[in-house]
Amino acid sequence: MLRVVKPKNARSKRAMEAREPKEIEDPRTVIFVRGTHTGEVVNGAMKDLMSLKRPHAISFSKKNVVRPFEDATSFEFWAQKNDASMFVLGQSTKKRPNGLTIARMFDGKLLDMCELGVDRFVSIDEFKTAKPPPGHKPMLHFASELFDTHPRFIQLKSLLMDLFNGEVIESIYLSGLEHVISITVAPSSEKLASVPDAQTDEPLPVVHIRGYTVKLLTSGQRVPRVELVPMGPSLDLSLRRHRPADPELWKAAMRRPKLKKQDVEKGLGKKRKNVEVDEMGDLRGRVHITKQDLTKLQTRKMKGLRGAPGEDERESEDEGEGIGAARPAKRKKKAP
Amino acid sequence: MDVSDILTSQASKHKSILVEKDIPPDIDPSFLTVTDTNAIDNESYVHERETYLQANARDGIQLLIAALFSLPTLSSPEGPLAQLPAPTTQLPRAKPLPKPKPVTKWEKFARAKGIHSQRRDRKVWDEESQTWVARWGWRGKNKTEESQWLHEVPANADTDYDPSKEARAARRAQIAKNERQRTQNLARSQQGQAVRAPIDREQELERTLATTRASTASMGKFDRMLEGEKKPRGVKRKFEPIERSVEAEKSASLALLKKLGNGHRSSKKAEQDPSGESIGDGNILNVRKAVRFASHGQGAVALAHKSGTGRNSRQKRKGKQ
Repeated sequence: MLRVVKPKNARSKRAMEAREPKEIEDPRTVIFVRGTHTGEVVNGAMKDLMSLKRPHAISFSKKNVVRPFEDATSFEFWAQKNDASMFVLGQSTKKRPNGLTIARMFDGKLLDMCELGVDRFVSIDEFKTAKPPPGHKPMLHFASELFDTHPRFIQLKSLLMDLFNGEVIESIYLSGLEHVISITVAPSSEKLASVPDAQTDEPLPVVHIRGYTVKLLTSGQRVPRVELVPMGPSLDLSLRRHRPADPELWKAAMRRPKLKKQDVEKGLGKKRKNVEVDEMGDLRGRVHITKQDLTKLQTRKMKGLRGAPGEDERESEDEGEGIGAARPAKRKKKAP
Repeated sequence: MDVSDILTSQASKHKSILVEKDIPPDIDPSFLTVTDTNAIDNESYVHERETYLQANARDGIQLLIAALFSLPTLSSPEGPLAQLPAPTTQLPRAKPLPKPKPVTKWEKFARAKGIHSQRRDRKVWDEESQTWVARWGWRGKNKTEESQWLHEVPANADTDYDPSKEARAARRAQIAKNERQRTQNLARSQQGQAVRAPIDREQELERTLATTRASTASMGKFDRMLEGEKKPRGVKRKFEPIERSVEAEKSASLALLKKLGNGHRSSKKAEQDPSGESIGDGNILNVRKAVRFASHGQGAVALAHKSGTGRNSRQKRKGKQ
C-alpha cells in the first residue's frame, strides 16, 4: 500500500486530481509485463498488441517474477504506481509455453484474469499494408455462439473489448474507421454451446484473432461496400487458466452513475413540470385548476335592480358571466 | 423508355452491400463492436480457414458500417462526425464512482432557497489595458486599488490615513474570511463523516456517573440509591496478596509507621516542604495554622500590614505557601 501523499505544489496536485475517480472514465492504460521467461513468440505478440493499444500502453521490458494466479500484489502495486488498470503478462514456462495473461483491475485490486496460450503467431510486420496510426479505434468483430452462452468466452469478450476499445465516446469520424480486429472461435461441439455452466471436460475451442484494414468502396448508396485486407497480427490462442471476478467486486465495478440533469431534461428521466425559481430565488409552482362555475354566484341584491318577478334570474346570470370573463383562467399560486 | 437495363448494368458495377445472416448479429455502435452468434461453418473452416475468417469478418463489419453510417451525423472539416448512442454492452469500471463533494454552508442554503448562483469568470475586462486580466491572484484586478499612484482620500480622514494600506487590509480581510469559511466547511463535512460510536457515549456517561457518586463527603457511602439505578460496573475491591516478599512487606510497614509518627498529616504539601520548620521534624507549631488563626483567615500579608513590621518576613512567606 502506498502512503497517501499530500500534493506539495499545483502541478502535482493537478496530476493527483487527474488520477481521481471520474464519472466518465479515461481509457484503460495497459501495462505489458514480461514474466520470468518470454520466448520470441510471446515477445512478438506483446509488441503487436502494444502497437494496437498505443498510446495507452506502458511496456515493462525487464524480466519480472510474477505469478498472478498465486499472488497478485505486484499487479496491484504497479496499477497504483502507474495509474493503470489492465495488464498483459507474457510468460513462457515448460508447463505453459507461450502464455499471455490478460488481467483487469478495479479500484487498485485485481478484478478478473484469463490466461491464453499462443499456438500460432504471425507478426504485424509480415503483412505489407498500411498500419493504423496510434490512437485510432478499431472495429471489433466477435463471431461464435459461445460469446453469448459460455462464461469463459463471455469473460474473454469483455476482456478483449476492454483491451482494444473500452472507452465510451460520443462521436466518431466515419473516415477514421480504418481497421478491424476480428475474434473468431473455432467450431465447437453442440454440448459446449448448450451447457451454460461449462462443467464439461471437453477442451475449449481455439480462438483466432485477426487484424484487417478496411477498404470502403462506393456502392451507389450511402452505405459503402466493405472490403478487408489482412493487416496482422494474427494469433491462434487456446484458453488456459482463468480467474472469474469476485461477485461483490464485480457488482461494485458495474455500478453506473445517475442520470445527469440535462439527460433528464432530454427525456431520459422524469422532468419536474410547472416549477420554477423566480428572480427573488423563491420556488414557484403553477397550479392549473378547472374553470370556476360562476353561474350560481350570489351577487349583491339591490332593490333598484329588481325588476319584474320573472326577470330576476336572467339579470343575475349576466352579471355573473361578466365577472367570470374578467378573471384569469390560470392563477399563479405559491407552492406549498 | 426502359431504363431497367441501365440500372442493372450500373448496379452490377458495384458489389452488393447486403449481408444475409440466420441470426441478425448484435451491434453495439458505441464500442464499434459487432457480435455474430451464428454457428461457424465447420467445413469451410477446416479447408480454407483464412479466407473463411476474412469473409465472415467482412460480413459482420459490413453490417456494423451500415449501422454506423445510418447514425445522425454532424459535419466537420475532417468529414462527417457520427453521433454515437449510449453503449448497450456494460463493461466494468476501472475505478469506483466519484464520491459527491461535501456541500458547503452556502450551497446548502442556496439549495434550500432555490438560488442558482452564476459562475463568475476568472478573468475580467480591463478598460485601461484593453485586455482580459485575472480577477484575483497574480496581476489580479483586485490589487489595482492599492497599487495605483494616486489615491482619493476622504475629507474627514485622519492625518495618518493611508488609503493604500486600507485597501490592502480590506483585501487581506476578505482572504482571511474566505479561508475561515473554507476551514469551517471542511470541519463541518468531516464532522458529518465521523459519527461517534454510541458505545463510547454510553461509557462516558457511566464514567461520569461513577465520579459523581464518589464526590460526596462520605465518598458516596451514605447516598441513597435511586430507583432503577444500577450498581457501578467494574468496581472491585482489591486485596493484597497474603504472601509477599520481605522487602515489600518491610517498605509497607515502614510507610505506615512514618505516617503514624507524623500524626494525621499526610498532605503532599507537608512532604514537599523542604524547610526544617514543618511539623514532624520536632517543631510542634503548625505555622500555617497559626498564621491563619492570627489573621482571622486573611493570610500572612494582612497580618504583616497589621503588625507593620518586617520582623517575621520569612515566616510570612512560609505562611503564604
